[in-house]
Amino acid sequence: MSGAATAPAMETVALKRTLGAGENALEILHGLDLAIGRGEFCAIMGPSGSGKSTLMYLLGALDRPTSGAVRIDGVDTSRLSESALAEVRNRKIGFVFQFHYLMPEFSARENVAMPLAKQGVATREAAARADELLALLGLAGKERRLPARLSGGEQQRVAIARSLANRPLVVLGDEPTGNLDTKNGDVVFDLFERLVAERGQTIVVVTHDPRLAARTQRIIRLQDGRIVDDGPPREVLARAGERG
Amino acid sequence: MRLLPLFRIARRHLGHSPFRTALSVVGVAIGDCFMILLSALMAGFEAKFVDETVESSPHVTVLDEFRDPPDEFAGWLSRRTGGVVSVESAHPRERVYRIKKPWETLAAIEERPGVAAAALEVVGTSILNFGNREVGAALVGIDPEAQDRVVATDDYMTEGRLSDLHSASGAIILGNGLAERLGVKRGDTIGAALRGGGTARALRVVGVFKTGVVPVDAVRAYTLVGLAQQLLGLGRDVNRIVARLDDHAEAQSVAADLEATVGYRTESWQEQNENFLSLFNIQTVITYVVTSGITIVAAFGILNVLIMLVLEKLPEIAMLKSMGFTAADVTVVFLVEGLAIGAMGVLFGSIGGYWLQQALASLPIPMKGLIEIEHLIFVDPPRVYLVAAGVSFASTVFASCVPALRAGRLDPVVTLRGRA
Repeated sequence: MSGAATAPAMETVALKRTLGAGENALEILHGLDLAIGRGEFCAIMGPSGSGKSTLMYLLGALDRPTSGAVRIDGVDTSRLSESALAEVRNRKIGFVFQFHYLMPEFSARENVAMPLAKQGVATREAAARADELLALLGLAGKERRLPARLSGGEQQRVAIARSLANRPLVVLGDEPTGNLDTKNGDVVFDLFERLVAERGQTIVVVTHDPRLAARTQRIIRLQDGRIVDDGPPREVLARAGERG
Repeated sequence: MRLLPLFRIARRHLGHSPFRTALSVVGVAIGDCFMILLSALMAGFEAKFVDETVESSPHVTVLDEFRDPPDEFAGWLSRRTGGVVSVESAHPRERVYRIKKPWETLAAIEERPGVAAAALEVVGTSILNFGNREVGAALVGIDPEAQDRVVATDDYMTEGRLSDLHSASGAIILGNGLAERLGVKRGDTIGAALRGGGTARALRVVGVFKTGVVPVDAVRAYTLVGLAQQLLGLGRDVNRIVARLDDHAEAQSVAADLEATVGYRTESWQEQNENFLSLFNIQTVITYVVTSGITIVAAFGILNVLIMLVLEKLPEIAMLKSMGFTAADVTVVFLVEGLAIGAMGVLFGSIGGYWLQQALASLPIPMKGLIEIEHLIFVDPPRVYLVAAGVSFASTVFASCVPALRAGRLDPVVTLRGRA
């Protein structure tokens, strides 16, 4: 790990992001200051169009700020080249999206091992690690199945296993349960809680579901590109309830 | 960049939709196959023509004229007066066209290294008639034994033998086309007009030959030298010396060399057949234009397939990038797919091209044009396969570059935002 151990896992400073150019330019984020500590399990909530996804892409080094800074493990992403950004994603970030985006031609094991293949980890070693993660997520025995032969919940768990393969500093979930039923959504959050508790994994998830958000340690509420609330789930949800 | 995982992704993509992959491979293979087939066919005809020409005509011919026309009075006067005076309608000087001292010249030619054999010839145009049918013939007076050493004429005899020219006093051998036009067969007696008047001379057809080169067979007739001199009114003159070389490929340099030695205009077989040989050059260009067209169509097929593939894989490309794969990685994946299609297409195209040649060459397809053939002739040196493979592969690379670069440049955020 390159950054100082004392630095937060992720940090934004006066983060602004404008989409489009010229007359169509639209500022999505209006200067966000945010720090996410190591081992924190944190939910980002907010109505559609509040900038949640945009923030996630910036935190995950998929996108660069228009102004301000995003620091991942103490490194400012706006100064990095495209390939250096890719390297940061490969080493420090694990993404889980609303859709699993598994590669249909590859087995569950191979999908999970994909980020390791990019790192150059030997196939055998990567497969062993993939199997270990799949077992952790309750998918032992289904390593060789193609994604099409797994259920929706199983597919999403494979995607989570893949996000963990590179032992990321932070797992970023952009509505990871958005496409799942309540039961499978709970399974995913059970997993997240376990990963935080057992491994000290830092996890940031975007969710619309207050019930699931309540299971995290911290909720950040975004509205119109600004942070309107930030605190322990119980308090944030209570304040949100008061406002209606 | 670690290539192995990229190759694996490319292989799985292609293997996952075998029908689509096969279709684009077939597209490339057809282009490659037909390019091979057409090139080999054209080369086959050219080789056949050259072979027939080289075998049925002398490698080098010494004519009874000079390459630079003799200095006529008109030109001389014009130059002397600085162009002020010009003479029009000048009559060319009467002069006898012949090779002086033919035997000495013949001996000099035969002594030259590289010359295998040489023979004297008397050539001219003669009108032959049978009944009231009259046909112009290119009469060649020869010494059968010497002639056969220069051109294997006896091998082309379909009726009679070359030596039969000695069998009767007025013996003549006709090309099969000429015999057909006259409507005569071996043993018939035909007439030949004497140059410079006099009654027609009766000739006996003692043989028929067929070289396979249609324009030759349609006009050529052989007699003994003495008879030709008589028919053409040449007295004792000889007007052509023909030679065979050890290596026909050296004809042009030997001809130039001989011309410098003997002074008379000396032509190689290439120069004598310049028209036909240049025709083959045009034909080659046309072949490449047509087959390149086929190849370009195949390339568009690949372009189509890859663009579809990239569009279909947009979410996966976004995911690969979010996992840390770079633009170059993604480009390599799709480039490799295009190249694999190209390589397989070239492989199957080459096999198909080879096989189709064998199949078509075994079919009886008689044709009569510049040359006469019983079936299609293919000549397939490695060059034919290499050029076709090169053109096919290059167009595949070109067609793959566009979608591959586009896939690499895709912004994952745009894809993800559109789907979320």
